[in-house]
Amino acid sequence: MQNQKSNNTDREISVSRLFNAPIDLVWEVWTNPEHIKNWWGPNGFTNTISIMEVKPEGIWNLVMHGPDGTDYDNKSFFKEVTKHKRIIYEHISWPRIIATIEFEARGNKTFIQWTMLFDSKEELIEVVKKHHADEGIKQNIEKLDV
Amino acid sequence: METRRDVFQAIADPTRRAIIDLLVTKTQNLNSLAENFHVSRQAISLHIKILTECGLVVINQQGRERYCEAKLDTLQEVATWVDQYKQFYESKFDSLEKYLDKLQKKKKHAKSKK
Repeated sequence: MQNQKSNNTDREISVSRLFNAPIDLVWEVWTNPEHIKNWWGPNGFTNTISIMEVKPEGIWNLVMHGPDGTDYDNKSFFKEVTKHKRIIYEHISWPRIIATIEFEARGNKTFIQWTMLFDSKEELIEVVKKHHADEGIKQNIEKLDV
Repeated sequence: METRRDVFQAIADPTRRAIIDLLVTKTQNLNSLAENFHVSRQAISLHIKILTECGLVVINQQGRERYCEAKLDTLQEVATWVDQYKQFYESKFDSLEKYLDKLQKKKKHAKSKK
């Protein structure tokens, strides 16, 4: 098990944070499409969720509308939904990611760890590269705006 | 015109990643490096060539031996790109944080009205 975990570290990205909100509210904004579309972002994007069945094998289709009018399809399905504990979903559009979101109540606050496991290190590298290129374009556009 | 090879292309190959891992812990010559792999010395030599072209490895000639050394600052550049990508998810957390604050303020406001 330990071994398997260390094998994954070169193809996963993980972020965690303690949120100043009780777990029932945090769970609600993660599992209700009416909420999730409001914060999912990224900055300057709007989101349309056509379906979000938060249950094992449930489908989740989210389209992100970029500020330049480009639409980005995100198709996923849920693998595990354990209330107030864990959500695992598989992103089947590119890039293929298995995302695990762990929730933990800490008094009136909630700790979340969000881990994205990529199919392979190669795919993670592709995504990081593309993201870097996109950021470069974005920064150039921001410069032009000034 | 010099075409610079892509650092990410270099580390996309598992053997080259293994070479870098070995060189980060210890600078060594081609022969001792090749002993760690099941592929031919020529194959390792080719990987080293690609790695030097990307600036991930430098070769120092010492007498008859050629020592391969990992260039940590180039590797640092790669780590910076990964951090930049991680920032994308951190910004989702920022947005979630703001949204949760907004909802809770609204709730409090509604309560104090009652």
